[in-house]
Amino acid sequence: MLRYLSLFGQYFVQYAKVRLGYRGDFLLSVATMALATACGIATVFLIFRGVPQISGWSFTQILFLYGFSLLPLSLYNMISINLYYFAETYIVMGKFDQVLLRPVNPLFQILFEKFRLESVGDTVLGVFIVATCARAMDLALGWREWLIIALASICGAALYTAIFLMLTCVSFWMEDRVGVIPPVYNMLAFGRYPLDIYGQFIRFLLSWVIPFGFASFYPSAFLLRKSIGTYIYALPVVTAVFVAAAAVIWNRGVRNYSSTGS
Amino acid sequence: MQGCVEVSDLVKHFRSFERKEGLWGALQNLFVREYKTVAAVDGISFTIQRGEMVGYIGPNGAGKSTSIKMLAGILSPTSGTVRANGFEPFRERARYTRTIGAVFGQRTQLWWDIAVVESFRLLKRIYRVSDADYAARMKEFDEVLELGRYLHMPVRKLSLGERMRCDMAAALLHNPPLLFLDEPTIGLDIVAKENIRAFLKRVNRQYGTTVLLTTHDLSDIEELCPRLMIIDHGRLLFDGGLAELKRQLWSETTVRFDLKDRDQALIFESLEIPGVRREKLSDLSYRLSFHRDSRTAADLIRQVVTAVDVLDISIEEQSIEDVVSRIYQGGLSEAVRCLR
Repeated sequence: MLRYLSLFGQYFVQYAKVRLGYRGDFLLSVATMALATACGIATVFLIFRGVPQISGWSFTQILFLYGFSLLPLSLYNMISINLYYFAETYIVMGKFDQVLLRPVNPLFQILFEKFRLESVGDTVLGVFIVATCARAMDLALGWREWLIIALASICGAALYTAIFLMLTCVSFWMEDRVGVIPPVYNMLAFGRYPLDIYGQFIRFLLSWVIPFGFASFYPSAFLLRKSIGTYIYALPVVTAVFVAAAAVIWNRGVRNYSSTGS
Repeated sequence: MQGCVEVSDLVKHFRSFERKEGLWGALQNLFVREYKTVAAVDGISFTIQRGEMVGYIGPNGAGKSTSIKMLAGILSPTSGTVRANGFEPFRERARYTRTIGAVFGQRTQLWWDIAVVESFRLLKRIYRVSDADYAARMKEFDEVLELGRYLHMPVRKLSLGERMRCDMAAALLHNPPLLFLDEPTIGLDIVAKENIRAFLKRVNRQYGTTVLLTTHDLSDIEELCPRLMIIDHGRLLFDGGLAELKRQLWSETTVRFDLKDRDQALIFESLEIPGVRREKLSDLSYRLSFHRDSRTAADLIRQVVTAVDVLDISIEEQSIEDVVSRIYQGGLSEAVRCLR
């Protein structure tokens, strides 16, 4: 465990050095990421500004939710970059052989060999929006609330990672270059707005099938003291179930790779 | 036992489906798939002792890579067993990979974008090499492989030869007792090849490292490997020393005769020379091959020269390439039969 922690540090520092080495490229991607986030926030303003309330959510609360949603997402984005390249680079081009030759857990290598450093910008922005909105609503955020925010964000990031890892595992069985990941990734956007505004079906889908709602909606609702926020107690369980399922599927995938050589 | 490999009845089947051509075929592929099973490795057994250097050769698609991947723990065997360094490679991969080194073909195991020395430091951490060992080994690698010049360059900027040297060093950083090399000299110029070979010899001598290498360059085998294994269609065709292969196949002598004119050629063709294989190269030149035990070249030449007017005679040496390509074409038994 300690060894992996130190390895994680090493991997991170190495990758950071590389990225910061290409200064122009790095700054450009920070700018792009910031622009994308700005567009998202602008959308919230455009849609919800004129409306005093939607399904019992005020504009400030919706902005709070949006800010909160940036936290688990940015953490997930930080480590997920290799999942998108997995089929192409690791399976089709065979880099997975190299991964299996090293005495380090294969999943660890995939997740922590590359980082999307520019996501830190979103984390900072998310914290800023949450804090600002809370102040505007006279919502006191003490250390207990911040601890809940931190833990929920980590759980949410783990949940995202588990969901997308399961989808990534498809390439162990099928040569899947186009991928099922992008459409699901686009569904993430649903989780940035109150689930109450959607119909029964989507609400169910985002809670229990692809539970993006647990990553940002339920924790935000909890912090905003809404009754539906009590769902947050299910967050650790949902996360644990999905992480466990992803681990099982991943291990099966690795075993399948080893028997087919893909 | 460290550095020792035992393989028995190793089999690897791949199941692949036959893709049909064209758009209609692609549509059919969606619904109906006809699978066929291919035996990439079809019952191989051998033992490699600690400190041996073994060459593993065979034509493309013979099953070399598949079997070496099973030995390295990347692929699981369909049946049969592998034991290496006291481990079962696939099942105990996490612990096993710590005890092996591997350089697989043209793919690098170094991190593409970071300086070579940074890759080494990461590997040092991964394999938990002590500072003292690391320093000693880097010094040694630098002496033979001359890494110093490009240690601080990112891997992507290195030439193939430079990268291969770095990959070799990376694979041996933790001083594994067992080393797998898949085409370690492919695409390298003669200097880089010599350099890599010298390095391997030295490592083998100094640490008793067991080495299994695949190659298409038979001079690798001649220089490095007292023992070679020839594989084709997933089966082991030959397992023994180069000397033994020579004894089995090299026993052929070839004499080429260039004759004066067409009349002489007709006389030559009517000559009865038992135990000799005849090959017509052109109207006036012939190649005769015979088994060394059956007669001598002098004897044959005397017989021909007394009967026919000969312009020129040359005795041809057979190269290892000839022998091996003959084995590839027809299998070992075929090659032996056609030479006898």
